[in-house]
Amino acid sequence: MTSRRQFFARIATGSAAIALGRGDSAAGAQQRGAMHDSNIVRDTTNLFAMDQSAARSVRLPPKPNATPLLTSAQRDELEHRLRCQCGCTLDVYTCRTTDFSCQVSPAMHSDVMALVQGGYTAQDIIDAFVSTYGERVLMAPKKSGFNLFAWFTPGVAIVVGGVLIAAWLRRWRNEPPPAGVARIGAPVDATEEELARLDAAVRGDDRE
Amino acid sequence: MILIGELSLWVALLMAAWSMTVSYAGGALRRDDLVSSGVRGLYATFAMVLLASIGLWTALLTKDFSLEYVAGHISSTMPRVYIFTAFWSGQAGSMLFWALILSMYGTIAIATSRSRNRELVPWATGTISAILVFFVATTCFKANPFVRLDFLPADGRGMNPQLQNPGMAIHPPNLYLGYVATAIPFAFAIAALFSRRLDAEWLGVVRRWTLLSWFFLTIGIILGMWWAYVELGWGGYWAWDPVENSSFLPWLTNTAFLHSIMIQEKRGMLRKWNVVLVVVSFLLAIFGTFITRSGVIESVHSFAQSPVGPWFATFFFLATGVTIYLVGTRLRDLEAKVELESMVSREAAFLYNNLVLVGIAFAVLWGTVFPILSEWVTGRKITVGPPFFNTVNIPLGLLLLALTGIGPLIAWRRASVSNLKRQFASPALLGVVVAVGLFALGMRAPYVLVSYALCGFVTGTIVQEFYKGVRARQTIHEESLITAFTHLVARNRRRYGGYIVHAGIVMLFAAFAGLAFRTENDVTLKTGEAFDVRDPYGHQWRFISQGVSTSNRPDRDVIAVGLEAFRDGKRVGIITSEKRQYLDTQHNALFTPITEVAIRSTAKLDTYVVLAGVRGNDIAELRVTFNPLVVWVWIGGFIMMIGGLIVMWPQAERRPVQAGYAATIRAARAPAEIPAGV
Repeated sequence: MTSRRQFFARIATGSAAIALGRGDSAAGAQQRGAMHDSNIVRDTTNLFAMDQSAARSVRLPPKPNATPLLTSAQRDELEHRLRCQCGCTLDVYTCRTTDFSCQVSPAMHSDVMALVQGGYTAQDIIDAFVSTYGERVLMAPKKSGFNLFAWFTPGVAIVVGGVLIAAWLRRWRNEPPPAGVARIGAPVDATEEELARLDAAVRGDDRE
Repeated sequence: MILIGELSLWVALLMAAWSMTVSYAGGALRRDDLVSSGVRGLYATFAMVLLASIGLWTALLTKDFSLEYVAGHISSTMPRVYIFTAFWSGQAGSMLFWALILSMYGTIAIATSRSRNRELVPWATGTISAILVFFVATTCFKANPFVRLDFLPADGRGMNPQLQNPGMAIHPPNLYLGYVATAIPFAFAIAALFSRRLDAEWLGVVRRWTLLSWFFLTIGIILGMWWAYVELGWGGYWAWDPVENSSFLPWLTNTAFLHSIMIQEKRGMLRKWNVVLVVVSFLLAIFGTFITRSGVIESVHSFAQSPVGPWFATFFFLATGVTIYLVGTRLRDLEAKVELESMVSREAAFLYNNLVLVGIAFAVLWGTVFPILSEWVTGRKITVGPPFFNTVNIPLGLLLLALTGIGPLIAWRRASVSNLKRQFASPALLGVVVAVGLFALGMRAPYVLVSYALCGFVTGTIVQEFYKGVRARQTIHEESLITAFTHLVARNRRRYGGYIVHAGIVMLFAAFAGLAFRTENDVTLKTGEAFDVRDPYGHQWRFISQGVSTSNRPDRDVIAVGLEAFRDGKRVGIITSEKRQYLDTQHNALFTPITEVAIRSTAKLDTYVVLAGVRGNDIAELRVTFNPLVVWVWIGGFIMMIGGLIVMWPQAERRPVQAGYAATIRAARAPAEIPAGV
């Protein structure tokens, strides 16, 4: 039996989550976040409730005589590289321009705007966000340190696999055939149409 | 009925355990009575799980809110169809759904192959039952949908309105049907390893079920993309989310298997590799369910708190361990029986196709689990998002697309230079023409150019194959074009169905490449204000705000903005995007407000308008996105489904005399010139 209190607590944290798809991860993220973050508003009306307390202030003093170094297009591009922290799994730009119920991405956006106004470069802004939120604020890991492992392992694995297959094919080809396997003779001379007929015959196309 | 359902679930657990025990014992002791009992136990498990499922459906449809699952997933105002689909919308229900499909599949697979695969049946039945024991036990002990509340709520929680969508009603069951179908080839692979019957006997069963799994996964994935695109409103259809990735993984290994199995059928090679692919597909399906259910990706710490996480992990490692042991002890039985004749042969091309497919699967898996690894090793949480997956997978995807064209053109065994020249000339020319044409039109992005060139090349290969086949039939049988085409496909379903799937893949790639030209615009419009913008094709668009309107319906409050759209000065129509707040019977807000995206689709371009928010009374904040070629994702998916159906459609066995005749012709003919059936 489940008590009323347990039931609503569970619903609040989204454990009555949905089956599959992005929505699930959003609900699941909420559930998972809720387990660790007691600041979450336990809104029992909202299965997809996001972690609206996730925004942290990322502010730096404006540089003297600051002029913005980024155009709005460059700023949008920058926001595509930062992940909204509400649990939606989207980048800041996409979240703030499509999800009006999220309060985190607009907060992150205003921090980006302030830093742009303060005369900071794209890299400065990225660094400021990383130092506040940690590396998880980036949509893809930096290509340094342990992360190199993430970036290069798939490529290395494919190359190694390719080389192994080539070596294996070579060895396989050079081995003498087991008894009973006949080698097939040289190509015969045939016209296109004869070959097509043969093809059809082999495939059973002529079967009525 | 609900009580009967609840009791049936426990009986199902006992039945599955019985079936597993006596089937394995019957296989080991070669006792037919035990084997029969095990098979009947499996059938009984299916009956019991079905009863349990009917019990849950009854509870849902009669709105028995005393059950926690019912109260947590439906409400009295929900449409009946979504009350029905609420069965699989939560953890407990979806576990029961897994068990239901698996017991049904198991029953069908064993009933249809009992007479043909006598040696394999006991082990396969035992393995299917063992998997059932796991799923039913997890349902009973950790995620029981029949748990009761100690109070009776007036109404249930309802289902998130975003899930009340036809796509979402059929997307999860399709994925489950695909996931679960991997269990049958797995069971037969385990059976073949146990009984050391590693000849071609199990290939037929395994191929059919893998194809079924592939088919449902394809539909499930495409429907999931469609749902995300029309319902979630962020403007795309694939975000490399862990849950999406986990459905893609078994699809990739299934696809690899469906190609490499042809090599085993035709040439007796790759026996070890095929067993590995079958097993990996199943493990990835379990992994997918585990990822979806345990929350492990978000944080390693949440894993222990998920009720089913540790159960899944144990099962996953147990299944992996058993398989590694079995394959390891039976390596000798898996030796290839023939030798490879040439590096330039279809066998070799398929090996590389397998490498790329499995490579992509590895890259996706790697990216999906890397955050856990990173947190575990360095203690830092990181995000591995779309930029990573795109960087790694785009080149691999293009390589795969190239192989899609190359594979069918190279002859089995050994391709001669003349064969290569004749087969490749026209398709390669078409690829080059496409690339040059697009370059002349001003397209410069290298990946996109390569992508369209390869699309041209692969299309060329497919058309050429159909053309040759149809011509041959026309010459031999003097058939009309349509008849020749129909007969060609009908009599070579695997081969030409496969080409149709390839055609669908080409459309998907063309659509993916189109997204490189997508443009996004943030717009704030007052009533009567206009926004002018150029689409990626250079057409001039004008959107004029018709104002913000609000309306109240019994179940929802709606804020809408209408835009009058003009393209190159010509009126296109009114595009309306909405925000909806769903309400319960007491008019309390249910869930967060959701977006109703406005999508205007044409073959060339989707105009995708999202109402992001409203300021004051009449200032609408909008995002206007131009997404080129998106409609080809859905068409391509549909074509793949049709191709899959053609391949799966049962075909009468060939007459033996035909096989003998074919063998004679094959032997007499040049090895290079046999573009044998796919």
